[in-house]
Amino acid sequence: MPVCALNNMINVGLFTTGKLEQIEEIAAEFEYINIKTALNFGFLTRKEYVAFLERAGFPLIDVRNQEIDETFVAQCDLLHLNSFLYLPLKEDNKGVLIVAAADPLDEKLLGFLEIKFDKKVSLVAASDLDITWMINKLRGEYYVKEAVFSLMRKDPMSSGIITFTDAQLIAIFGFIGVFFLFLTLYFINAFIFFNLFFSCFFLFAIVFKLYIALKGSRYELHQAVTKEEVRAVVNSTLPVYTILLPVYKEDKLIRKLIWNLRSLDYPRGKLDVKLLIEEDDDKTLNAVRNLDFPANFETIVVPYHLPKTKPKACNYGLFFCKGKYLTIYDAEDVPDSDQLKKVVCLFRKLPKDYIVLQGALNYFNKNENLLTRMFTLEYSYWFDYMLPGLQSLDVPIPLGGTSNHFKLDKLLELGGWDPFNVTEDADLGVRVFEKRYKVGVVNSTTFEEANNEPFNWIRQRSRWIKGYMQTTLVHMRNPARLVQKIGWKGFFGFNFFVGLTPITFLIYPVLLSFFVIYLIFDLKVARVLFPDWVLYISIFNFVAGNTLMIYVNMLAVFKRRYYELILFALFNPLYWLMHSISAYKGLWQLVYNPFYWEKTNHGLTKMSHSAAAASAVNANGA
Amino acid sequence: MIKESNRIQLLTLLLVFYYVILSWILHRNGFEHTESLFYSEKLKILFEFKENTLLTIGTTFPSSVFIASIILSPFGYVFAPIAASIIFVAILFYFVVFDISESKLAFKPVLISIILLFVLHPQFVYAAISGRNIAAIMLFLYMLFRSLFLYYRTQTTYYLSLASIFLTILVFTEINFIWMILSFFPFIALVSVDGIKVSKDEPPIFQYYQALNIRSLRRKLANRTVSLYLILFLLPLAAYYLFRLLNEAHAGNATYFLSSQYANWRVTGTAPLNTILELTKGKNVAKQTQLIFQVFTIVLAPTFILSLVLFKGKLYELFTLLVPIFFFSIILINAKFYFTTEYYMVMQIIGIAGLLFFGYNKYGQKITTGLIIGASCISILGGIYYFSESNDYEEHDLYMMFNSDKKWFGPKQDTELQQMAEYVASVASPETPLLIDDAAAYGIMAHLPSLQGLILPLQKSFVTVIENPALVASYMCIAKRNNRLHNTTVLNAYNILEMKERLGLKPIRVFETENWIVYSIR
Repeated sequence: MPVCALNNMINVGLFTTGKLEQIEEIAAEFEYINIKTALNFGFLTRKEYVAFLERAGFPLIDVRNQEIDETFVAQCDLLHLNSFLYLPLKEDNKGVLIVAAADPLDEKLLGFLEIKFDKKVSLVAASDLDITWMINKLRGEYYVKEAVFSLMRKDPMSSGIITFTDAQLIAIFGFIGVFFLFLTLYFINAFIFFNLFFSCFFLFAIVFKLYIALKGSRYELHQAVTKEEVRAVVNSTLPVYTILLPVYKEDKLIRKLIWNLRSLDYPRGKLDVKLLIEEDDDKTLNAVRNLDFPANFETIVVPYHLPKTKPKACNYGLFFCKGKYLTIYDAEDVPDSDQLKKVVCLFRKLPKDYIVLQGALNYFNKNENLLTRMFTLEYSYWFDYMLPGLQSLDVPIPLGGTSNHFKLDKLLELGGWDPFNVTEDADLGVRVFEKRYKVGVVNSTTFEEANNEPFNWIRQRSRWIKGYMQTTLVHMRNPARLVQKIGWKGFFGFNFFVGLTPITFLIYPVLLSFFVIYLIFDLKVARVLFPDWVLYISIFNFVAGNTLMIYVNMLAVFKRRYYELILFALFNPLYWLMHSISAYKGLWQLVYNPFYWEKTNHGLTKMSHSAAAASAVNANGA
Repeated sequence: MIKESNRIQLLTLLLVFYYVILSWILHRNGFEHTESLFYSEKLKILFEFKENTLLTIGTTFPSSVFIASIILSPFGYVFAPIAASIIFVAILFYFVVFDISESKLAFKPVLISIILLFVLHPQFVYAAISGRNIAAIMLFLYMLFRSLFLYYRTQTTYYLSLASIFLTILVFTEINFIWMILSFFPFIALVSVDGIKVSKDEPPIFQYYQALNIRSLRRKLANRTVSLYLILFLLPLAAYYLFRLLNEAHAGNATYFLSSQYANWRVTGTAPLNTILELTKGKNVAKQTQLIFQVFTIVLAPTFILSLVLFKGKLYELFTLLVPIFFFSIILINAKFYFTTEYYMVMQIIGIAGLLFFGYNKYGQKITTGLIIGASCISILGGIYYFSESNDYEEHDLYMMFNSDKKWFGPKQDTELQQMAEYVASVASPETPLLIDDAAAYGIMAHLPSLQGLILPLQKSFVTVIENPALVASYMCIAKRNNRLHNTTVLNAYNILEMKERLGLKPIRVFETENWIVYSIR
């Protein structure tokens, strides 16, 4: 039996044979070396391991500052380097190839390298994280370019690398031209027409939302997967499940992340968790390095390449995935413990054309301040009512940022995420529909941290709204083709939920200003622009629209019994103004910086999920 | 094999056909309701008159019947409101039969009872063929309670939202139903305990005891109660206040849609109690006092009594059935008008809803079926009794029409309004304009082939014209002293005398009916 560091640790009483047996089983399935499995599946802390190596006479070298002869690395494939955690450095004076390895005692690896390079090899110890960082930096170029350009090459019509096509520019400027031409030639009539058009559009969009929410509310108590079905799942039949965790400067959340992952009810050896860290994100890398307890994820370092977006990182991570299913969580996410099992059950129950399941998202810090309450109301109606409503109508579902569970092979078939789209999830939802696949909704919730700071919220929202604009522009390049692919129902559904959402936010403050100016100043000019019937329709649309939107928000409290939030729905008009600010920011960025990823700061909340859960249980009197 | 849903649709279609024939027969024998004519006249103004359209549609009480009539106006302005009420009753029939098929009751016998009610019950038939708002009230009342019962059964917000939407339409069909919101209050407080984690096996009173004595549960209970109130009542109240706002902005009066005789038929159509007592012979008005009215409406609706007898279910569902009793108590506090058929139908409709949702298997299917058929037959008798004692002029007229030796298929009989309209049409032209006030004369206007040559209050010039009519108008249509609407219009017998004295007007009587006169004034 080949010897590795773990055998030596057993010999000195620092490890157990039982654990090694488990590790070997997992390592065989994932095709990893033992030490990678031990460090990434929660068997061993890095600190313990480093201490052992130092005591065993293998002090770690800093591979990130070593002189490296790249001719040797060039002979190795990144995926192999990553599985076996080694990095050829250079030949010494005696012609011996020095190779940095996470496990310098691994005889199997040594043998393999000597055959591969046909020379004597000497293994030196190095941090697995530093090796990962270096190998991805040195050998990740091909993969990162694939991650960025693969979709553009395979399906250029679906790639957002071009924001505006020529035809779209002509249409947009044509519309603006006609708008100003009419305003110049027939100011009053043109003003009245556009005012009425937008105000009717505003009301129609909201009535449509109410309709979908009501449709969705029919399925309020529907359990796609029951607790009994989850209990009946046999662990040995479960497939490997990949979880992607794209993070950027989330060092404060790493501990939390580990605890959240540990609470998942899924066999440890079947969880393929990838923490995707950007090359320049030493903060997060060091947080992983300095953990006092075993990590239960594998770290992947995404080499530097523009655009620096989450979908690019996820696409890069896809090359390393081993699972049959895949999901994405944010660092601060707290999924329901049985979420993965529910997804497996539901995929088994549903027809094969269902390739994505969206879990509900909600917030654990809902009672922190007004903003988190409003955000919770919004997410509750969106995920608990709108998505089931959209599913029942069989129209494209814009996926949420996290907790969307894919069949990995189908995700690869679709070309992964569009790295140029800042709401890659919504875009992917449409592409799924275009390929005649379906998106389902699973009755499981992931609790996230609601943005509790207004400027941070606006940053996040501006990205989302910009992404919706991008997605619309991409898929509306050829409307006839889109109709052909997703049908008229899908076409209208897509345009209403993705395309017209930013427009609603953009026109809201304009309508509000008209209304307020008329009411407050009662100017003569305003009376000319608002003849009786125009004012009548405007007041009706505006008041009815806002009331219905408040009503839709109020509906949201019922499923989760967040009754204490219902009165906060009255603040929805103010909340919409914040959306409008974000929409204008998003529009500005769409023109000047379309691929810029507005980073949302996490970890600002003073509430923890466990505290929130405890207070909820207390409030429920359970 | 015909599918069950197709069979229900076929039955509904036959019922529509029956009502259309019946309304045609009654119409050609001179029956038409003023409320229906009011809507017809508004439709006419809406589509044929270019001035002040907004004032017509925008501030007219947006009753569901009026809105449905706009959609059905291609069938003719006079028939459109009748068509609307026929369709409302037909939809009600469809849902009732559908609910029978979904209930645990024996389908065929209960269906026969329901058909008996819809075909023979005078109030059902009257609702369908009168063109009034009764049909819409019945439909939306049924849908409201149906949604509430389905909410109790499924606990999904969907049905609660539907209930809120139906309540909104109900309020905008008959504004008095806004008081129903108050009568729902105690039951919603009761229902709210259902969503709280208390011992469900205990009786509701103990559940309440538990919920009120644990701080966190008490808070949850209060929040849930407020949530239920808001989700049920936000829409009707917001719609009401929105319409007040629109009326304030456009008519300078927030309650214009309720208080103007040009916007709402009730202002002139319903008779004040003192007038009723003076002029009519029926006895129903005497029963319109607290408690007696509730008991009387229940007696006239044995289906309601039966639904209580056969009731099997939870306490708060039973209490929901009793909502109309509280509702009547509230509206009777300040009752100034005689309550017509629509108020008597409340018990009937809620009784049917209760029966279909909760009246099953208490005494075995045979006894239950027998009781339902019996109750339906007694209901029909109750309906006849109501009409025989009705104090409403038009309801009474209809009863008398059926009791007379009328030859139903004889020559067509024109009503007074039709005769007057015929004359007005023959003299009014742009060269010889006729001054008419549709506050009272809407019935005449509804029958006119065109509005050309009329000077109406909608026109900006009307106020000037009324100061000295002879300068512009050639004719004036005046309500006579004995006309019930005499006091609701400026063009009445009193004012013509006043004009004679003040302006030296020399009107010549050129055409006269029992209630109307046309004067030539030039």
